[in-house]
Amino acid sequence: MLENEMIQYRGFHNIVENGEVTGFQVCLRQCVYRGTWLSQFRFGALIVDGVEYGPDDCTFTVSGIEYKYEEMAPLWRVKWPLNEVMVVKVKKPGGLAQGVHTVDVRTGQIRSYLPPRIDASLTAPRDPNARFDMRGMSNERQLIIV
Amino acid sequence: MAQNEPKGVKRGVSSYCYDKFLYVNMDMEDMFRDMYDMGATGLEILADGVIEGYPYPSTAWLDKFFALTERYNIIPVEYGHWVESRLFPDRDGTVEEQAEMLIHDIKLAHLMGFTCMRTKLGVIDETLSPWTDWREVIRRALPYAEKFDVRMQPEIHSPTLLKDPMMMDYCEFIDKEQTKFFGFNIDFGVFRNKGVHTFPGQDPNRPLWSEPEDIVPLLPYVYCCHAKFYDMDENFDEVTIPYKKVVQLMIDNGWDGYLLSEYEGQNKDNMFHVQTQLRRHHVLLKNLIGY
Repeated sequence: MLENEMIQYRGFHNIVENGEVTGFQVCLRQCVYRGTWLSQFRFGALIVDGVEYGPDDCTFTVSGIEYKYEEMAPLWRVKWPLNEVMVVKVKKPGGLAQGVHTVDVRTGQIRSYLPPRIDASLTAPRDPNARFDMRGMSNERQLIIV
Repeated sequence: MAQNEPKGVKRGVSSYCYDKFLYVNMDMEDMFRDMYDMGATGLEILADGVIEGYPYPSTAWLDKFFALTERYNIIPVEYGHWVESRLFPDRDGTVEEQAEMLIHDIKLAHLMGFTCMRTKLGVIDETLSPWTDWREVIRRALPYAEKFDVRMQPEIHSPTLLKDPMMMDYCEFIDKEQTKFFGFNIDFGVFRNKGVHTFPGQDPNRPLWSEPEDIVPLLPYVYCCHAKFYDMDENFDEVTIPYKKVVQLMIDNGWDGYLLSEYEGQNKDNMFHVQTQLRRHHVLLKNLIGY
């Protein structure tokens, strides 16, 4: 089962490769009622303690396959399934320090069935006053690195 | 299975009601159990969310689906899916790409026993007018819909009005193609007459809702409906939609099909609230349609 929030606690940890801490990862679920074709996935930034990690700072793992952001753009037959998390990995030598971190994310899926105007709100900074901002609700969580 | 169903207005539930819980604290069987409690036999799934491995479920998953529908007396009615027009960051999906997606869904819907589809087309404006070349996409899919015996239905959803020009376009298309395999899912939100939002740039003279009578000329094209509801009170009345009038018109006109509950009110992430709203809704529907 998944956690209710978009940002999952499970899966949040530093990445260790060959004994070195090379970065960190966080898992996301889709708080909507369908999965996402990778060509319709949009990512603004992962924001940790106010530091923004954009699409080119991250990789995205779906069903075990790791993609760079631009690699997903043509993949209209590949689905990020609703019942699976996406792993977002960030290269950051030394990783995140032990203790509490504030984690937020700006992301979403294109929905052709809604007015085109709404697409732009997916990756834009949150506007708490916008009625149709699909991300009006905060995804922010306080998570601990051990 | 479906052919043993009685003629007339019948009731069911859309998986959309449970979307906040699916994979978090509920699975497909929990959904079916809740429906069974209410005597709601008709099922709409949002295919992409409910079918594990969509659009290529395993035979093991399909076997599980069939076993559960049998156990809980569920009739697969409507397969909810999307035809994506804004498919790529730099361009729209072509007619070929959109038709490919749609034809695959037709085959999968048929395989799972569904007879209707809620075919959500891409839109280009605030009143939800369909993507420019929608006719060609649908035309390519029609032979498949006919062969596999499933009816494609765009969902007619607020702020669209039942008298909007696009409805005439759809009806003209259906008449020209002389097809029974393309019609409408009328979402009852179009009749909502309280608390209706306007969209940016809306003409102040534009009506905010459709009248119940507006559904009558469309009924021959309607194979199932989203029984949208927002607020069921303790007396089992929907306070924003004139349910009694709409359903009575459907009964009087001999309409045969399923009303599929779709809850879109407050506290959609509170399971007790949603279950209560849903059961109140089925008390209302059961009393209106007689069983």
